[in-house]
Amino acid sequence: MAADDASFDAENGSQRLDKDTKESLVRVVRHGVLLGWSFVVLFPLYWLASMSLKPPGVANQLPPEWVFLPTVYNYIQLVQDGEFLAAFANSLIMVGASVILVLIIGVPAAYVLSRYDLPMERDILVWILSSRMLPPIAVVLPFFVIFRALNLFDTRIGMVFMYVSINISLVVWVMKAFFDGIPETLEEAARVDGATQFQGFTKVVLPAAKPGIFSVAIISFIFAWIELLFGLVLTSFESVPVTLFVYSFIGSRSIEWGMLAAASMAMILPVVVFLIVVNKYLAAGLSFGVVIKE
Amino acid sequence: MSTPEQTQKKTEPTREASNGRLSQLWNDYLPYWFVAPMVVVMVLITFFPGAYDLYLSVIAEPTVNIFEAEFVGLSNYRTAFSRGGVIHSFGITITVVASALLLESLLGFFLAALVSGVDSSRMKSFYRVLFIVPMAVAPVSLATIGRIMLNNEIGVIPYLIEAATPFSAPVFLSEIPLLTVILLDTWNWTPFMFIIFYAGLSSVPKTLIEASKVDGAPLWRRYIHIIIPYMKPVVFVAVLIRMIDLFRTFGVVYGLTQGGPGTATQLVSINIYEQMFINNAPGVAAAIAIIYLVFVVAIANIVIAKVGFEGVWD
Repeated sequence: MAADDASFDAENGSQRLDKDTKESLVRVVRHGVLLGWSFVVLFPLYWLASMSLKPPGVANQLPPEWVFLPTVYNYIQLVQDGEFLAAFANSLIMVGASVILVLIIGVPAAYVLSRYDLPMERDILVWILSSRMLPPIAVVLPFFVIFRALNLFDTRIGMVFMYVSINISLVVWVMKAFFDGIPETLEEAARVDGATQFQGFTKVVLPAAKPGIFSVAIISFIFAWIELLFGLVLTSFESVPVTLFVYSFIGSRSIEWGMLAAASMAMILPVVVFLIVVNKYLAAGLSFGVVIKE
Repeated sequence: MSTPEQTQKKTEPTREASNGRLSQLWNDYLPYWFVAPMVVVMVLITFFPGAYDLYLSVIAEPTVNIFEAEFVGLSNYRTAFSRGGVIHSFGITITVVASALLLESLLGFFLAALVSGVDSSRMKSFYRVLFIVPMAVAPVSLATIGRIMLNNEIGVIPYLIEAATPFSAPVFLSEIPLLTVILLDTWNWTPFMFIIFYAGLSSVPKTLIEASKVDGAPLWRRYIHIIIPYMKPVVFVAVLIRMIDLFRTFGVVYGLTQGGPGTATQLVSINIYEQMFINNAPGVAAAIAIIYLVFVVAIANIVIAKVGFEGVWD
């Protein structure tokens, strides 16, 4: 902080330094701090990656082997371990299905909230947001009891529903904001051309809202993908998500550090790609639509 | 939930008469069809769990026939306070939420301000993309990273501390578990604040910034009096959403310490989990869940009411 305050003062135009010196000083300090944080961001990820690529025995040596011959041994072990693949596939299927479902439920609702003057609209919006406020553990207790009664315990369908519950508020809020930004004249023009209201929605509004739908889908995917608690409470064998696999791996007695690192890497990498793909719309999505463009 | 199928049929208007009637029903009440599935899901995930937690919290034990359960009044709540460690776990949770929220907000804003001042647009997008990466790490994977890097036998961080400084490394997970949890969460979620603040800063009009420079006010005053007030809705919503999500924290702590050592990192969510699944006390678990639920919803609503919707969502 102190270093940066200095840079701020300098930027502000103290007259002791001439302009060029001042500007280059600001630049050096700025990039120094930013590169420092880049290191903080990257070092743990580098460490995890290198651990996953070290042969067993070398993985947890201290002092660490900074230079080593990378091997995919841990990844092969992981793939051969049927449990990991099953959990990974489970997560892909359950999270993917939940994203499709939450879009089908949330996007039309957001459209109505955007286009119609509903009574108590603000209360409805806060109610929707409140589903995000409820602590998941408080939500999951009843579902633990009910799912057992309905034979939904340890099923993919049950987990899909729980994942929908995490993201419904996000989808409605963000999509409402996106629809608010699409001029109504677009649909009115389509109506004049003889389209039904529904066609106006599917053929005109939805295509215009594509970037919003795309980014909200990916953000929903991430929030469901990283969720541990629901898997911990509501699954035991059949529908174990990958987060629970990693968790039970930590708990096992003799930890194979290399394999654990490989499993974590396999969980993280797809999400990194996703984040980079949607980075332009990330702020809009994460702020529940309050920030709509960069 | 039958929306998609109905949709397919109804968009072709020339069919039999009954179909025409249905299609009219579909078109006339379109807004209702559009919100109905959402309302059903919302009722299922808000009113139902709330009501059921409340019910569980006043009975001795769940029974197959819900009307046969033995009503015990507030005794589960009494147990929660006397033996359930409610006050302790609320203290832990509030500590974690408040410190992580503060750290993440300050750091996120600081980084956003620095990055938005970078003049090369290529470096700018490099930082912007790089700084969101920690968000890709699931809390449970972060717990893995923590266990690998902070472990006093195999961890690189204690090793580096001891190799590079004269100090001996702390045993992170048993001596300073709470601080460790807070710092790990800060690493994980500062990107969230960063990316929203960055977008907010980019939306501040250039002319406003130029005008403020002419006044000759020092930079920090420009931030406090002009820039932050301008992006108040953004700051408000970022802090609100992050606060709500911090109250949901579970995975990183459970993966790292399982609430321990002892109960040193026992968040309310972990406390409830253990009451339910380790102590087999669903009534006590539900009682704590109700207290927690009311607490979080109340805080969030106070924040919303204090700042108000005006200018944020309207």
